[in-house]
Amino acid sequence: MNDPLQAEAPTQGKDTKAPPRQRYVLDETGFNEVPKKYRKFYRRFGGEGDTLAPNEVLCPVCMVVVRSSRELRPGDRVYCMPCFSRLVVVEANGRLEALPVY
Amino acid sequence: MPMTAEPHELLEDDFLKEVHSFDFWFQAVEGYLLDTEHGRDPVLVEEPMEEVQRENLISTLCNYCVGETAALEASSGMISYAPNRSIKIFLSTQVVDEGRHLEVFLHRLRELGVQDPDSEILQRANPALLKFKEQLLEYVDSRDWEAAVFAQNIILESLEFTVFGAHAETADPITQQVLSGVIKDERRHMGFGENDLGRRLALTPHLRPRLKKIKRQLDMLVMETFAGTLRETGASAEDQARFTSNYLATVARLGVDL
Repeated sequence: MNDPLQAEAPTQGKDTKAPPRQRYVLDETGFNEVPKKYRKFYRRFGGEGDTLAPNEVLCPVCMVVVRSSRELRPGDRVYCMPCFSRLVVVEANGRLEALPVY
Repeated sequence: MPMTAEPHELLEDDFLKEVHSFDFWFQAVEGYLLDTEHGRDPVLVEEPMEEVQRENLISTLCNYCVGETAALEASSGMISYAPNRSIKIFLSTQVVDEGRHLEVFLHRLRELGVQDPDSEILQRANPALLKFKEQLLEYVDSRDWEAAVFAQNIILESLEFTVFGAHAETADPITQQVLSGVIKDERRHMGFGENDLGRRLALTPHLRPRLKKIKRQLDMLVMETFAGTLRETGASAEDQARFTSNYLATVARLGVDL
């Protein structure tokens, strides 16, 4: 693929075997700011007490939770459709975070 | 564009075409505006309001009208020299959003007993916000794309996004619903600004010093406007700090913070 972020982040290195990614069945979350077909991929952030699942990251631009149908890992690319941001998943502060990629 | 169940699998160009499209906008706003009238549930009834609270709300809404008028005039003016068709189409949706915001705020003013919103806005408009509007429209008129996007979609939209959010937390139920719909629109406008400028700065980093200069010129006006509006809405010092941190985080991500 031409876009390196398009590729799924490697699940196993040369010498180490990473466990396979967990898959998720996404349900509607009540989020209504994108077309219906995309709504289950986003949810509102509940604030400091809101723990994100392994398939979720918080968009730093608009503070909406971006969801994927698979477990996210550093290097993955996700899109925040509510604010048009392309994000890359990184590990920081002991958890997954997202950074915009322009 | 191939149909995909997972939006994260779209190619970047397809993603941008999709989110900038009129169809995306139409289906997005349908999610939260369907069955509303003037931006809120038509069965909601006015709650009793203290006179001071009503007066403050009128002043706040008058200033929201100034901001929305600025964004309406600016976004429509930018269409003719937007860098590509996809962005022209996105801006057309922003124009519709801003027109709607202006209309719902004017309607809310009338509901609060304001007979002549235009003269009320003239009397109550924050001078710093008027000055900001004047400067923004100068950038637009001079076809200065980067300055116009920065002033409108980064500075003004960040200001509105945070102020409306803070206000919605303390507002009466009708105003709260109106603001809630507006905030959802602002998310697109603000995100468009950061991502468009981010891509532009990545290709032409020499633009950065100029944007920093514009930021320094406009910061004072923005902060003054903020402080005034947040005071009227009864927002706490914490809310003011929250805005500052949102805004500063955005400009820091773009590298135009210092």
